[in-house]
Amino acid sequence: MSLSRFLIKRSLQGLFVIWGVITVVFGLRFISPGDPANVLLPPDVDPEVRAQVIAELGLNEPLYVQYWDFISGIPLGDLGLSLVTRTPVAARVITKVPATLELAIAATIVAVIIAIPLGVVSATRRHQPADYAATVFSLFGISTPNFWLGVMLILILAVQLNLFPTSQRPIGIDGILLLVANGNLDAAFDGFTTWLWHITLPAITLGTYFTALITRLTRSGMLDQLGQTYVRASRAKGLPETLVRYKHALRNTLIPVITVIGLQLGTLIGGAVITEAVFAWPGLGTLIINSINARDWPVLQGSLIIVAVGFVLVNILVDALYAYVNPQVAYD
Amino acid sequence: MSDSDSHIGRRSYLKLAGGAAASAALAGCTGGGGEETTTESGGEETTTESSGEETTTATESSEPFDVTITQGQMPSGLDPQDHRETPTDIVVLHAYEGVLTRDATGAVQQALSTNYERIDGEDAVRFDIREGVTFHNGDELTPEDVAYSINRVVDEEVGFASPQSDQLAGVTGAEVIEGERAVKVLNDGLNPIVFSEFATYLDVMQQSWVEERSKAQIGQEMNGTGPFKLDSYTEDEEVVLSRYDDYWQEPAAVDTLTFRAASEASTRVNQLLQGETDVIVNVPPQEVQRVNNSENARVAAAPSTRIIYNAMRYDVEPFDSVEFRQAMNYAIDLESIVQNVLGGFGAQTSQPTLPEFVGHNADLDPYPYDPEMAEQLVEESGYAGAEIELNTPVGRYLKDLEISQAVAGYINELPNVTATVRQRDFGSLVDELLAGSIEERPHWFLIGWGEATFDGGLVMTALLSSEGVLTTWENEEFDSLLADAGQQSGDERDATLQEANALAHEECPWIFLNQQFSVYGVNDAIEWEARSDERIDVYDMRQK
Repeated sequence: MSLSRFLIKRSLQGLFVIWGVITVVFGLRFISPGDPANVLLPPDVDPEVRAQVIAELGLNEPLYVQYWDFISGIPLGDLGLSLVTRTPVAARVITKVPATLELAIAATIVAVIIAIPLGVVSATRRHQPADYAATVFSLFGISTPNFWLGVMLILILAVQLNLFPTSQRPIGIDGILLLVANGNLDAAFDGFTTWLWHITLPAITLGTYFTALITRLTRSGMLDQLGQTYVRASRAKGLPETLVRYKHALRNTLIPVITVIGLQLGTLIGGAVITEAVFAWPGLGTLIINSINARDWPVLQGSLIIVAVGFVLVNILVDALYAYVNPQVAYD
Repeated sequence: MSDSDSHIGRRSYLKLAGGAAASAALAGCTGGGGEETTTESGGEETTTESSGEETTTATESSEPFDVTITQGQMPSGLDPQDHRETPTDIVVLHAYEGVLTRDATGAVQQALSTNYERIDGEDAVRFDIREGVTFHNGDELTPEDVAYSINRVVDEEVGFASPQSDQLAGVTGAEVIEGERAVKVLNDGLNPIVFSEFATYLDVMQQSWVEERSKAQIGQEMNGTGPFKLDSYTEDEEVVLSRYDDYWQEPAAVDTLTFRAASEASTRVNQLLQGETDVIVNVPPQEVQRVNNSENARVAAAPSTRIIYNAMRYDVEPFDSVEFRQAMNYAIDLESIVQNVLGGFGAQTSQPTLPEFVGHNADLDPYPYDPEMAEQLVEESGYAGAEIELNTPVGRYLKDLEISQAVAGYINELPNVTATVRQRDFGSLVDELLAGSIEERPHWFLIGWGEATFDGGLVMTALLSSEGVLTTWENEEFDSLLADAGQQSGDERDATLQEANALAHEECPWIFLNQQFSVYGVNDAIEWEARSDERIDVYDMRQK
C-alpha cells in the first residue's frame, strides 16, 4: 500500500474514532448527574427565570435535536456556544491549544534529554551504581503523582528558594512569534526568557513520569539490542565499541522509543489536566476542569474533540514515521 | 440603624401584595426611606469640586499601586445583567454601579441616585438621578439610561431573558419622569422591599452603548460609571481594569486592578506568598497558619451571609420525631467543630437566621454538647437503633465534607444510632433538592444558603416554610408566623420573625451548624477589610 492510500485510510478511521468520541461524550452528558441550569443559577431563582434560561440555552430540546444541532455544526467548525459565557466554543478551545501543546512538547523535551542518555548509561553499565541510580530515579518518577510533585516543586523551588514563579503563563510561544514577526526582537527575547522561567516547573512535573518511562524503555531496548548477533558480529569485525553502541544499537533501540514518544504526546495532553490545574496554566486541561465544574457541556465536548483529533493525528503520524524509519514495516 | 428593619419577606410580599393590610407596611416603609434620604443627602456634600484636588494628590503620589485578585474562577462574561455568580459580580461591580449600594456593614447608601422615595398614591418609587456622572466613554449619565437598565432586567422585550429578573421581584418597569432628572419605578403592588433590592442589585448601563452592540460584545466590553474602566479582557485568563480618573467621587487609590483565577486553593496561597497576587479568596483553614506566618501576607476574615445546616426531612422516619431531631442537635459538639474543623473561621448557630439579619433572636443559644441527653431523647423517640445517612457535597462550602464527617462521627458515638456519610456531586444533590416536592429530597443533607438581602424572613420562607424552594419541613404555626410577618413592618415584623426562629430552634428541622466565614489572604502592603456580603471592593483599598 502506498503512503497516500495509507493516509487516506487512516484518516477515515480517525474520523470514525472522533465521531465515536463525540457520541460517547454526548451520551455521558445525559447520564451524568447535575443539570447545567442548576449550576449556573442559585437555588433561589424564580422557577420562571430558570425555565427561561433553560429555553435560551436550548436545554429543553429533545435529545436528538440537541445531538443533531451539535454534530451538524462540527464540519463547519461550529462547536456551539458555551453555556456559561455564551461565547463560541471553537474559538475558546483553539486559543487554549498552544498553551497545552507547548507544555506537552516542553515536557517531552525534558524527558528525552534526560531519559535517553540515562537509559543508555543504565544499559551499558548494567548492575553498576549508575544503573541502580537510574533505576531508583525511574521508580521515583513512575510512582510520583503529578499533583504531588508539582506542589512540592512549587513549595521548594518557588516559595522557599524563590527561583521560579509558582504559576501562570504570561506569554506563550504564539505571543513570542508575534513579537518576532513584528521585528521586536528584544521584546521577543525577554518574552522567551519569561516563558522559559514559567514553563520549567510545569514541564518538569509533567515530564517526570514520561522520563522514567523512556529511561526504562531505552534501557531494556538497549540491552536487547546489545545481545543481538549483529552487535556481536560488529564487535568481532573490530568496530569501535562507541560506534557499535551509539550508531547501531541505539539507533535500533530508538525505533520503539519514537513510537512511544509519539503516542505519549497524546497522553501528555490528557495528563496535562492536573499539572495545568496545579500551575494555573491556561491550557486545555484547565479549560476541561473548569467546564466539568460548571457543567459546561459544549466546552467539554469541544475540548475533547480537539484532544481526540490531536490524538488521531499523532497516531497516524507515528505510524507513518515508524514505517519510514523501519523499512521492515509496511503500510498496511 | 439599617434599613433592614423595614424589610418584608420577598415571597410573602408577592403573595400578599395588594391585600388590605398592605397600607400599614407602606406607612412603615416610607418612613424608613424618608429618614435615610435626609441623612444621606446631608453627607453627600463631599462630592465633585473637592474631589478634583484630591485627584491630583492621588495621582502625583509615588509609585504605581497595582492590585491583583485571584478568585477560584473567572467571570462568566462582563455583562453585569447576565449572570448570577459572585466571581462575576466582584469583577463587574468595579466598573458598574447601581442607583443605591450598601456599605461594608450592609447599610443602604446612595450611589447614582441622590434621593429615593415612594410616590404617594401609586405603586411606584422615584429615584432622582445624580448629575455630573459620566460613563467610561465620556458620555453623561441620563435618567433614560437608568430606566433602560431597569427595563433590560425586568422586561424580556427590552433586552433578553435576564437571569436577574427575580432579583427585582415586584418591579414591572421604569420610566423617566418628564421634565425632571428622575426615574419612576413601577411595581405590581406595594413592594416594601424595593429599596433593599435596588441596594443589592441592578447595575446601570448606557442605553445607546448597549443598543449599538451585540450580546457577545456586551459580554466582552465594559462601559459603566464605576471607579475602574476596562483595559483588557482575555477570556479564561484575566481581566485588567484601570482607574477611571473622571469618576464622580474621589478617584480610586489603586492604579490598575487585575483579576485572575486559580481553582486550586494551594495554588492561590502559593501565588500570594510569592507576591504574584495581592488578594486571594477562600483560604482553607489548614493554610491559614502558613499565610499568617509568612512575611508578606495575612488572613482577613469576615462572617458571611451564608448559613450551613443539616436539613432533616420532617415526614420520614426517624426524622419525623421532634425528640430524635433534638437528639441530633445535642449529639454534636458544635463548638469543637467550629474550632477544630473550621479552625475558628465560623460561628455556631442556634436558629435559621444569622445575627446580622432582620429577625435574629438573640435569646437563643446553640444546643450544648450533651451525648447523654441525646441518647435518652433517641430512646424517647422510639427510634433506637436507627441507621441514617448524611448526603453532603464535597468542596462546595468551606470544609463541607469534613463538617459532615464530624457530625456523623459524633452521632455514631451514640450507642443507639448509626450514621454514615454519603459524598455527593453538588450538581446532582441540587437537582434533588430542586425536584419540586419534598418527597424527592434526600432525608438528611448538608447544604448552605447565602442571602445578600440580610433578611431572616426570606431565609426561613425559602428553606422552612411549606412552600419554600428547598423546604424539608411543614409546620402550621411556623407558616402562620411567616404569613403574619409578611403583613408587618419594623419592630413588629422583627418580633414575629424572632418568634419563628424560637419555634425552629425548639422543633429542630435542622441540625444547626455554622455561619460560614469568608476567608481571604491579603498582601500586607494593602489596607483592606473583608466585607460580610462576599464582595471585594477595591475602591476601599489603600496602600500602607
